[in-house]
Amino acid sequence: MSDNQNTSSSVEASSASTTHFGFKQVDKNQKASMVANVFDSVAAKYDVMNDLMSMGVHRLWKRYTIDCSGVRTGQKVLDIAGGTGDLTAKFSRLVGPTGRVTLADINLSMLEVGRDKLRDRGLVGNIDYVQADAEALPFPDNHFDVVTMAFGLRNVTEKQNALNSIYRVLKPGGRLLVLEFSKPTSEQLSKLYDVYSFHILPKMGQLVANDAESYQYLAESIRMHPDQETLKGMFETAGFDQCDYQNLTGGIVALHRGYKF
Amino acid sequence: MPTSALASTLIESGINKLLSLDEASAARLASLKGARLIVYLEPLPNAFMLVFSERVDVLSVYDSFDETVANLSPLDCCISTSIQTLPQLKETNQLTRLIQQNKLNVEGELAVAQKVSALFQQLDIDVEEIIAEKTSDVFAHQSVKTVKAIQEKTSNVFAALARNIGNVMVEEKPVAAHKLAVMHFSDEVNALRDDTARLEARLKRLEDTEN
Repeated sequence: MSDNQNTSSSVEASSASTTHFGFKQVDKNQKASMVANVFDSVAAKYDVMNDLMSMGVHRLWKRYTIDCSGVRTGQKVLDIAGGTGDLTAKFSRLVGPTGRVTLADINLSMLEVGRDKLRDRGLVGNIDYVQADAEALPFPDNHFDVVTMAFGLRNVTEKQNALNSIYRVLKPGGRLLVLEFSKPTSEQLSKLYDVYSFHILPKMGQLVANDAESYQYLAESIRMHPDQETLKGMFETAGFDQCDYQNLTGGIVALHRGYKF
Repeated sequence: MPTSALASTLIESGINKLLSLDEASAARLASLKGARLIVYLEPLPNAFMLVFSERVDVLSVYDSFDETVANLSPLDCCISTSIQTLPQLKETNQLTRLIQQNKLNVEGELAVAQKVSALFQQLDIDVEEIIAEKTSDVFAHQSVKTVKAIQEKTSNVFAALARNIGNVMVEEKPVAAHKLAVMHFSDEVNALRDDTARLEARLKRLEDTEN
């Protein structure tokens, strides 16, 4: 397992025609559909599993992301890989009737679960739902004030393309916030986290969602995701300024932030 | 991060729960739609922003007071005070004094702060009704009646205890002076102070005459 944990080098090691899907190497053209299968499978139980797996802490991570967004009344927000709409729900109230929030996800099942959830909560009027690939966002240049992506970037086949695409749709002065699993800062926490991810998480997935494989993929995909510094470098390559990141819960998750000036 | 995020979650849940218990609060909340109140409370490490829509969203703010004030919108109000001063904000006639004493700093739309104050001060929660919805009318009535009786009895006991302790200290074991004795002593001190002032004035006059 530890051989596979050198995430940054592993990511770069993917050859031109293949990429990683968890610890497996797969054809780049296949990854999107494989990820789609994972999320089709977990969509219905996504929120329950998130609460169980993180013991509710994912809500605090997401809340902190919103705190850091600086979003204001009347602004346009894009929530990429918004899934079941946790961030969108809050943004919808924060931007008010004069603003707009676009919930984008490549996966239709997740988008449908999110749309139903938000409509059931009475959140209508300023939310658009768009099935979109983060690598080729179907929006005009310089369009959004804030773009967020929570727990979505690691599933994207070409992460740099996604960051470039986000940079294009952000207005000058706008900011990107990427909340994603990352590398724990302490060795002890890292070991504990490995035990939890590879031994407990798949069993929980089997028990609750009747799907151990998807949660095995989740654990593996986290290990293959670029570490904090590598991702920060990718932000800079895309053109973002004042890039920084904050480790949350000992680096299990990191919030990266970059501005377009 | 987790502490401030957890704090804002708890505050937000508490506020919205309280407001949901008073149906009349919806109208007061509607008058605040689109407004934001940012509160800096010493010695808390970060500020909190209350955003009003059909409900109240609470966000943590990590910018300084000056940075926040520089970015205020027309419907925003930003206040800075300390936890010790907070109870005094209930008395609206004291606000000017607190501002003059630099204990309260208000920037932006003051009406927002006043409406928020009214939103909470006018809360009218029928506890008996809430308990009745989950149990029965009789149980709710008896519970509230019992709690009120206990409250009354407790406050009576404390009042009697304070009276008794006062009597013991003044009458039975005179470790403290009686109220009348204190007043008499104060009067004598005042008279002495006046005499001293008069003497000082006479001496000064005599010195002036000699010179």
